[in-house]
Amino acid sequence: MKKKRNSLKSNCLVTAGVLGSATVVAFLLQQFVTTNTHVPLLFILAVLFVSRFTEGYVYGIVASMIAVAEVNFVFTYPYYVMNFSLTGYPLTFVVMLAVSVSVSTLTTQTKRQEEIRLEVEKEKMRGNLLRAVSHDIRTPLTSIVGSASGILDNRSILPEEKILELVEDIRDEAQWLIRIVENLLSVTRINGDNAHINTDDEIVEEIVGSAVAKFQKRFPEMGVEVLMPEEFLMVPMDGILIEQVIVNLLENSALHGKTATQTRIVVANEPGRLIVAVEDNGEGIKENVLPVIFEGSLQSREGEEYDSGRNMGIGLSVCMSIVKAHKGDMRAENKPAGGASVSFWLPMEENKSDGY
Amino acid sequence: MDIKDRVLVVEDDKSIRNFFRTVLEANNYDVIMADTGTEAYSLITSRCPDVVILDLGLPDMDGMKILKNVREWSSMPVIVVSARTHERDKVEALDMGADDYITKPFGTSELLARLRTAIRHARAACLAPEGVQTGIFRSGGLVIDYDKHRVFIEEKDVGLTQNEYKIVSLLGRYAGKVLTYDFIIKEIWGPNMKTDNRILRVNMANIRRKIEKNPAQPEYIFTEVGVGYRIVDSN
Repeated sequence: MKKKRNSLKSNCLVTAGVLGSATVVAFLLQQFVTTNTHVPLLFILAVLFVSRFTEGYVYGIVASMIAVAEVNFVFTYPYYVMNFSLTGYPLTFVVMLAVSVSVSTLTTQTKRQEEIRLEVEKEKMRGNLLRAVSHDIRTPLTSIVGSASGILDNRSILPEEKILELVEDIRDEAQWLIRIVENLLSVTRINGDNAHINTDDEIVEEIVGSAVAKFQKRFPEMGVEVLMPEEFLMVPMDGILIEQVIVNLLENSALHGKTATQTRIVVANEPGRLIVAVEDNGEGIKENVLPVIFEGSLQSREGEEYDSGRNMGIGLSVCMSIVKAHKGDMRAENKPAGGASVSFWLPMEENKSDGY
Repeated sequence: MDIKDRVLVVEDDKSIRNFFRTVLEANNYDVIMADTGTEAYSLITSRCPDVVILDLGLPDMDGMKILKNVREWSSMPVIVVSARTHERDKVEALDMGADDYITKPFGTSELLARLRTAIRHARAACLAPEGVQTGIFRSGGLVIDYDKHRVFIEEKDVGLTQNEYKIVSLLGRYAGKVLTYDFIIKEIWGPNMKTDNRILRVNMANIRRKIEKNPAQPEYIFTEVGVGYRIVDSN
């Protein structure tokens, strides 16, 4: 409701503003130019602008009526009298009306097409995600059900260490499921309302610190080193989501880095943007995977990844949608010295960081 | 024979009840169970548990209502368990008087640690008079000297400003527990402070630079994103 009232207000303002400036310009020109031929052209231009920058047809049509009346009343002889017998009068009116209607139609069409395109894109992302998730969930669930019924059915003949092993599997698979669910929840946080996110000024070290703590709880054996600038950085973001991105990247290093034993987070600030890179000393990312790594449909192309049921598709595509929702971007590469580096950047307002 | 702490678990899901009972009994707690809010309320008044583990999603009433009811007459420790992940829910429960908050899914070690902290705090609050904190808080290399109003790291005075000291000592008084931004701001700057938590966070950034080796990998003061801060338990 409120939004509607706001757009009404801004549309009226645009209409009044454009017509007003056209009037002022016409008056000024009247001082220097003796003929009046430019006036109708000027108002046609004004009507065009109004139709372009307002929503719907109404404002353009109203603007063309006002413009016709104004040209008649103010700028043509006899001045300050409405005169309907002027030659060409109906023609001026029809032209202005036609301009306004066709421009409004064009504008509305473009806007609608843009909306449809966005909607399709969102649907596509949702579809990709659903596919990736269904696959990701089925594998651990199979293992959980299998292990649990394996223990129940054979508890008298299974040696204790075998039972322990199966129970450990159940726990690990369930933790994998938790990870997926957390990612899904993050996505609902973005998609709930037109990919809109709530950003707050967050202190970068707090978000990084919290992500590292969460990661180390799950992977105590992995080393984590954090390098960041001494000054403290405040960046507008949804803290929970960016924390999720960093946790995902760290977990990817631990789960897919194969030989990775050490991860490193490097935080840097360039003018206008914050860059966070997560690096590891593992095997790196396969060259053929690099170009499609953020697409979330990795497993359909990678036979090996498919069978393992441990693709990084969902984690990374969720990261990408979170970062994109912040109007930032991501990239992945292999470091020359070995190991993977996945980084993202977020826009930040300049000079905001050193305000304190 | 030692006296067991009595835990009331308010939870309606059968397998989670089962899990609570197994884990808590194995760890030497006396466990009583309630699966509805009404039953919980009558057990709280009749059996006087030492600590309550309260699931917020109950079939007959909102868990928050029980929490509010209990807080009207008792300061018995209540740990809230919830599947709601939004940080607003955590803040609401903590501000309503919950002692701690665990989000499903959680592990046994996390659960037991929170339980111990909550019980210890309740005991300490009974022994110490309200308000003035005396003595020394020690955790690893961190020492808060409440008498001298100083904070030391590895025996060195870190030179906190007055407000910084107030924040650290407040966290120390509730060590192990998450304090929400609003709670800290009200305690330090008074109830009329506007609720913008920026000033608190700037103070916290300065504190971290004085007491942590690397502010992004804190050893002493942790951030619960969107909720508040927590200092490590004393040892």
